[in-house]
Amino acid sequence: MDFTLSAEQQMIRDMCREFAEAEIKPRAEEMDRGAAFPYDLIHKMADLGLLGLPFPEEFGGAGADFLSYCIALEEIGRGDASVGITMEAHTSLGATPFFLYGTEEQKHEYLVPLARGEQLWAFGLTEPGAGSDSGGTQTHAELRGGAWHINGAKNFITNAGTEMTGGVTITAVTGMQADGHKEITNLIVPKGTPGYIIGNAYHKMGWRASDTRPLSFEDCRVPEGNVLGRRGDGFRQFMHILDLGRVAIGALSVGLAQAAFDEARTYAGERQQFGKPIATFQAIQFKLADMAMEIELARLMYYKAAWLHMQGQPFTKEASMAKLFASETAKRAADQAVQIHGGYGFMDEYPVSRFWRNVKVHEIGEGTSEVQRAIIAKHL
Amino acid sequence: MNIVACIKETPSTTAEKSFGPDMRLERRKEDAIPNPFDEYTIEEALRQQEKHAGSTVTILCMGPATATDTLRKALAMGGDRAVLVSDSALAGSDAIGTARVLAAALQKIGFDLALFGSAAADAYGGVVPSATAEFLGLPLLSYASKLDLSGDSTARIQRAAEIGYNEAEAPLPALVSVVKSINEPRYPSMKGIMASKKKPLDTFSLADLGLDPSSVGGAAARERAISSEKVSTQRKGEMYQGNEGAADRVVAFLIEQKVL
Ligand SMILES: Cc1cc2nc3c(=O)[nH]c(=O)nc-3n(C[C@H](O)[C@H](O)[C@H](O)COP(=O)(O)OP(=O)(O)OC[C@H]3O[C@@H](n4cnc5c(N)ncnc54)[C@H](O)[C@@H]3O)c2cc1C
Repeated sequence: MDFTLSAEQQMIRDMCREFAEAEIKPRAEEMDRGAAFPYDLIHKMADLGLLGLPFPEEFGGAGADFLSYCIALEEIGRGDASVGITMEAHTSLGATPFFLYGTEEQKHEYLVPLARGEQLWAFGLTEPGAGSDSGGTQTHAELRGGAWHINGAKNFITNAGTEMTGGVTITAVTGMQADGHKEITNLIVPKGTPGYIIGNAYHKMGWRASDTRPLSFEDCRVPEGNVLGRRGDGFRQFMHILDLGRVAIGALSVGLAQAAFDEARTYAGERQQFGKPIATFQAIQFKLADMAMEIELARLMYYKAAWLHMQGQPFTKEASMAKLFASETAKRAADQAVQIHGGYGFMDEYPVSRFWRNVKVHEIGEGTSEVQRAIIAKHL
Repeated sequence: MNIVACIKETPSTTAEKSFGPDMRLERRKEDAIPNPFDEYTIEEALRQQEKHAGSTVTILCMGPATATDTLRKALAMGGDRAVLVSDSALAGSDAIGTARVLAAALQKIGFDLALFGSAAADAYGGVVPSATAEFLGLPLLSYASKLDLSGDSTARIQRAAEIGYNEAEAPLPALVSVVKSINEPRYPSMKGIMASKKKPLDTFSLADLGLDPSSVGGAAARERAISSEKVSTQRKGEMYQGNEGAADRVVAFLIEQKVL
C-alpha cells in the first residue's frame, strides 16, 4: 500500500490551493451575498484547464486521472463551495456522460468545448415528482418524423441557465420495456431549442453563487441522433454517473470541512476569554481534534473510492460511503466552527456562517444521506 | 533565440528553518520549492519566448539530486527542457562557487539571454548574477523591471530609480536579473502540469562541465556562516488606551512619523 500522491497529483493540489487562496476565497463573501455567478473566475479556471481535468487531451481535457480531479475539487471547494459545485456539476454531471457514452461525433461536438471550458453543461435528472426516486421520471419523449418530441419538467438543475451554458442532458421516458419497466433514455438538448424553457434561478440558502434552475419542455424537438449512447440505456448510465459524482461531492465536502477547520483553529488561537486564548481550553481542543480526525478519515475514504474506480473495480458502496461520511463530517465541522466562534459565528462577516448554510445541501444533492445509507445497506 | 532561466531550489517560506552544526540550513526535500523570486524569472523567459517565435526556454538549476522535483514544478509553468547540475562535491558552495558552476553550465548549454531572479528567498545574497557574468565576461543588466529585446541583438531594460527609472542596454548574449514588478507570474495550467513529466531533464555533473571539484563546494567557499540568531518578532508597539487623549496622541505620533 502506498499513500504517496504522484508528482502531478501534488502539483495539481498545490496549484489549486494557491489559486483558491488568492483568487476565490477573497471573493467568496461578496459572491454569496450577491448570489452572482462569477463568470470571470470560471473563465480563468477554464483557461487553466480546471474544467476538463479528467478527460484526455484529444478531447480538450488535461489528461489527469480521476483522483487528481477530486483533489482539485477539494481545494477549489476549500476556497468556496459554490465555485466548487459549478466545477463539479459541469465536469461530473455535464461533461462525463459525453466522455463515457457519447459517439465519436458527439465527443467532438460536445465534449471538446466543455473540456476546454468554453461552455458549461448541465444534467437534468430530478423532477418535481422524481427526486430520490430518480427512476420515477415523468418527462417523456416520443420519436416522430425523425425527431424526439419532449414534454415534461425538471427542477433544481445546476449550471442550466448561465450565459456560458451550452445545454442540458436529460433523462426521459421513451417507451416501455418488455419487463414492464419504463424505458429511460438520455437526450441531449442544446440551449435555444424551441420548447426548451429555462426558468428563473432559485433563491437559495447556500451555494448561492452557483446557478440552479427549473426547466420545462413543451413539445421541445431534438433530432433523433441526440440520444446519448443507446436508447433505453438512460437508467444504467445515470446510476454510474451518480456513483462517480458522489466521490466528487465527497471531495468537495472535505474541502468545505477543511475550510471550516482552518477558520476555527485560527479563531480559537486569537480569541481571548478568561485571560487566555480559547484554544487553551480542553473543550475547544477536543472539538478541533475531532474535526481534524474526521476530515482525515473523509479524505481517505474519497481517495479510496476514487482509487477503486481507477483500478476498474466496483466502487458504488464506497462512493456512497465517501459522499455520506464527508458531507456529514462537513456538516459537523461547519457546526462546530460556528460554535467555536460563539456569537461572531452567527454573523455574516465571518465565513463560518456561510459554511454552515452551504453545507446543508451537501447532504441532499446527488442523493440524500438517506439514499446513501440505503445504497450502502443494499451492498452489505 | 536560446533563453535560459536560472532558478534556485529554496525551502518554502512557511517551512520551519533550522541550521546544522556547520551552520548550513537544513533542507528537507518535502519543503523544497522553486525560489519564489524565480517565478518572475521563469515568467519573463516564457513571455520573451512568446514574443520571439522559435525561441527555446531551458530552466537551469544547481542543486541536490532531488531538485528534479523542483525543476518539474518549474516546467509545469512552461519551458522546453531543464538542466540540473548536481554533484556531491557541490555541497556547501558559496555564491562564487555557484556562479562558477552556473557560468560553466550556461556555456555548455549555449544561450543568447540568461535570466536570474534578484535574489533567493533563503540567503538573500543577490550576488550570483553578477558573479556569473564576471566568470563569463559578459554584461549583466541587473534589477530589470522591464525587458525588451530588439531584434536578436540587443537587450534593453528599465531599472527603477528613486525618481522614475534608468535605462540600460547591452548586446546579446547577456545576463539579466529581474525584480518582482517586471511581471505577474502565471499559475501552472493543468495541461502544463501533466506535460511537465514528459519534458527532457538532463543532469550534469562537475565532470560533465569540466570543473575541478576543489574549485567549488564547501572547501573552496570563501564565504562562511559564523552564527545565526532568530529574528526577534516582538514588535515594539506603543499602546494608547482609554478615551483620555488617546486620539490626540495617535495624531501626534502620525505627524511625528510624517504620515500626516
Ligand atoms: C442546489 C441543488 C442543486 C441540484 N442540482 C441538481 C442537478 O444538477 N441535476 C439534478 O438532476 N438534480 C439536482 N438536484 C436535485 C437533488 O439531487 C435532489 O434534490 C435530491 O436527489 C433529493 O430529491 P428531492 O429534493 O426530490 O427530495 P425527496 O426525494 O422528496 O426527499 C425528501 C426526503 O425524503 C427522504 N426519502 C425519500 N425517499 C426515501 C426512501 N426511499 N427512504 C428513506 N428516505 C427517503 C429523503 O432522503 C429526504 O429526506 C439539486 C438539488 C439542489 C438542492
